Amino acid sequence: MSTIAPEKYKENASKNIADPVLQKALSGLQERLGPATENLYNSLPEGHKMRTEAHQFRRKAIDNLDVLLSTLVDKVRGHGGIVHFAKTAEEAVEICKKIALDNDVKTVVKGKSMVTEEVGLNLALEKEGIEVYETDLGEYILQLSGEAPTHIVAPAIHKTRREVAELFTEKLGTPYTEDPPILTRYARKALREKFLKADMGISGCNLACAETGHIVTVSNEGNIRMSTTLPKIHVAFMGMERIVANLEEQQSILRLMSMGAAAQEIGGYVSYVGGPAEVDHGDGPQEFHLIIIDNGRSKILADPEFREMLCCIRCGACLNVCPVYGKIGGQAYGSPYCGPVGAVVTPLLFGINNSADLCAGETLCGACKQACPLEINLPRMLLALRSKLSEGDPDWDVQPKSKGENLIFASWQRFNSNRKVYDLLLGLMRVLQHLLPAKQGMISRLPWPLSGWTANRNMKKLAPKTFMQQWREKKEKKGS
Amino acid sequence: MTTQKEFIQDISTALGRPTPVSVDVFTVAPTTAEQDILKAVRQRSSGERQPFIKTLQEVSVPLHLDFHPERSLEDIRQAIITLILEKDPEWGTKKSVVRWDHPLLNSLNLEAAAELKDIPLYITNHVAATSSADDLQAQRQQTRKEVEASFIGITSADYCIAATATLAMKTRPGQARSVSLVPSIHVAVVEESRLLATLKELYTLLKWDEAEQAEGLTNNLSLISGPSKTGDIELVMVHGAHGPRELHLFVVSDHR
Amino acid sequence: MNKPEKVTLFIQCLVDTVFPETGAAMVTVLESLGLKLDCPANQTCCGQPAFNAGHTREARAAAVKFLDIFEDAEIIVCPSGSCVNMVRDHYLDLFADDPKMLVRAQAVSRKIYEFTEFLVDVLGVESVGARFPHKVTYHASCHLNRFLGIDRQPRTLLAHIDDMTLVEMKGADTCCGFGGTFAVKYSEISGAVLAEKVKNIVDSGAEVVTGCDMGCLMNIQGMLSRKNIPIEVKHIAQLLAEK
Ligand code: SF4
Repeated sequence: MSTIAPEKYKENASKNIADPVLQKALSGLQERLGPATENLYNSLPEGHKMRTEAHQFRRKAIDNLDVLLSTLVDKVRGHGGIVHFAKTAEEAVEICKKIALDNDVKTVVKGKSMVTEEVGLNLALEKEGIEVYETDLGEYILQLSGEAPTHIVAPAIHKTRREVAELFTEKLGTPYTEDPPILTRYARKALREKFLKADMGISGCNLACAETGHIVTVSNEGNIRMSTTLPKIHVAFMGMERIVANLEEQQSILRLMSMGAAAQEIGGYVSYVGGPAEVDHGDGPQEFHLIIIDNGRSKILADPEFREMLCCIRCGACLNVCPVYGKIGGQAYGSPYCGPVGAVVTPLLFGINNSADLCAGETLCGACKQACPLEINLPRMLLALRSKLSEGDPDWDVQPKSKGENLIFASWQRFNSNRKVYDLLLGLMRVLQHLLPAKQGMISRLPWPLSGWTANRNMKKLAPKTFMQQWREKKEKKGS
Repeated sequence: MTTQKEFIQDISTALGRPTPVSVDVFTVAPTTAEQDILKAVRQRSSGERQPFIKTLQEVSVPLHLDFHPERSLEDIRQAIITLILEKDPEWGTKKSVVRWDHPLLNSLNLEAAAELKDIPLYITNHVAATSSADDLQAQRQQTRKEVEASFIGITSADYCIAATATLAMKTRPGQARSVSLVPSIHVAVVEESRLLATLKELYTLLKWDEAEQAEGLTNNLSLISGPSKTGDIELVMVHGAHGPRELHLFVVSDHR
Repeated sequence: MNKPEKVTLFIQCLVDTVFPETGAAMVTVLESLGLKLDCPANQTCCGQPAFNAGHTREARAAAVKFLDIFEDAEIIVCPSGSCVNMVRDHYLDLFADDPKMLVRAQAVSRKIYEFTEFLVDVLGVESVGARFPHKVTYHASCHLNRFLGIDRQPRTLLAHIDDMTLVEMKGADTCCGFGGTFAVKYSEISGAVLAEKVKNIVDSGAEVVTGCDMGCLMNIQGMLSRKNIPIEVKHIAQLLAEK
């Protein structure tokens, strides 16, 4: 269960940078998935315009979210499903808890769902004495080890086979082996028992289709199908933005999502669930509950600067190319949402002020936008968040972050606006730089506020003459 | 408790409009491109479908899907009997097989095979809508028990998409969805006429074909591409995470 | 577009104050092509560092100054991708709510060019007759490559330098970890990203690393120097000015 602690960004980042096992896992992941996804984009039969269109489909859905959700809800009810609405995380948890208690649920199996992590579902159910099992292999490993995820699609990628071997031996009592196929089989066996005895299955919703009234889940392991087929009750958690208007639009988005998430043409299992099993069908859950969750999303919706973020389908493609994520890993973000997507979503959902480091701690290189199947403009939104932090914003409850930094930029602006003052200051700095330790024109230690630079690199000294000065002199020579 | 009205109202407010209005986001008629797809699919001849077989063969390899070359009902029947005899059960030692109640599978007539006389062959056709609640419950439990016990599950599919080797299956009476999921080995037998080129064709049919529209997607539509898999331990690809470890696909020729 | 006769130079502040030789090299190349140059002497920083750190007010002030100075220019050329990105694209964001300023920003946005883009796309020049008998690797900086979509142009120019061997590094288009104030505020993360870039540069076997943005190159130079790695850092203009 992840707790929300984005304040520890720097501290956690530093720990993770020093962890060679994690570094290897992260670069392995990025080297494999980043280019593979890009190749699939490049060979899209529909061409690049498919991505542009898919972005528009999502945007249109978000711009008409009230109508789409109403349509979905009517249809799901028509299929015999029960729909609930949760304004807050607490409400979502309460609704699920009540369904579980009313039905005397003892064991829950869960398919991977970020929104259930966002609302803190597992802990609440466990408090009621209900056994909750994460069934995605990666999530299951983390549940056993009590760790937070490193990646939103491949959560346990930081665990070596050796660590998994030790963990399984300790927690499952299985014979020690470092062979991934055998380890997978151990988990398969342990979880099969849970699937067969569980009385409630919980899933997320990758993308609902409004016109048909179905939620869609995607997985490769088959764990979500198991969780939503075998137990007598299926509860689906859905962030209110995870919807699209119609089937043809969904087709493009699901394909792009699969490319972004796992470099696949289409996920191994794509399941449309519209309601409980019909009476004369041989199996399937007898109750289907859909919990639609706001939890801060309508606030994002209302802000034109950030509305675009609701287009996100949480595929994780942006993580697979981000140079910063590739060094610090998912746990550094202190939120179930990590990487570039997390750097924007976490502040918006859990507070901008305490996520200040998430907003500022990127290079703005734009790799995320390029890798995002929907080309969501994360860098633009990071900039918007930074601007809120420096100037404050009562709508988002943001206090100006650092008086010191504001002062620095205010004075920077003053000398930048007047070339004479600018030159004077440069002259002064040119004199002062002689006091700094340097070798062959490279300064090895800068004073605050620039000291961070020289923590791991040198800095070339200011030139004896600026270009402007040289230019002027050249002109004068020509003139004379 | 938040009501639907409050919840939707908040969204409308955030969108800066008074109340949910009906807006033009749902398509009502196929585009020309979609009409062309529909036409192409409907008029496609058996000969034009032959390249799909080759595509399926090719895409099956990276997906770890066993695509079988047998095309006649008799050969497929024999191949399935061999699979049942030669494969080992994953849980326990006793073999049993479960299959859908489906015309194509019925015509395979596996039940008559002398080689399989010691192996229980279940059919998921117990549930009748007219039964009482208690009967329904008992019948479902019976199906569940049989599916759990079986090491091979045999289904057909509504469609099979060549480009991605995707099987599309709706839920219907007699066609329990767990048959393609719980047994360790999933065997799918589809008619050649059910082959489509791409997912786009599938979605175009699901959306615009009159028969598909009349039935709807049903409460459960599964798109299955290959056996269950995971890369969660060090990104090593392992087949058989929670769903079937193997997926065997047979395409029945039109000229049988 | 008609070939311009007079070009107004916009010199990135880093080039102005730390790397004037880059500016001088650009002048050499442009003059050798017969262009008349003009360089407003009162120019300063375009405001990019403030903008990237979220200090919109200060960035806007810098933008106003920039527009005052440059709006009469026929065509503006700058040896830095990220500064062109700032003026061409982000000035429009800064003045999105100010129609009067927006019109001015749009006008300037249309006539500013990055140095290599100007040579290849505007002048149609692919070779400037340079010769540089060394092994060189090219860093495709992010703002240039992703935001401005300029990659073919510098590579074309490099391909036409006589006797030069261009060796491709692994991940040439991966960020160097600079990110303006990020490099100072999150120096550990920045350093980790940079270390990988430096490793790829070293592994390429190049004697010189080049690019179109002194920000990134200064960053790379900083670590090469700290690690005592004898690989030189040169702006592409410097290579093009070599005979
Ligand atoms: S921002 Fe784009 S790439 Fe990142 S998770 Fe969301 S949809 Fe995927």
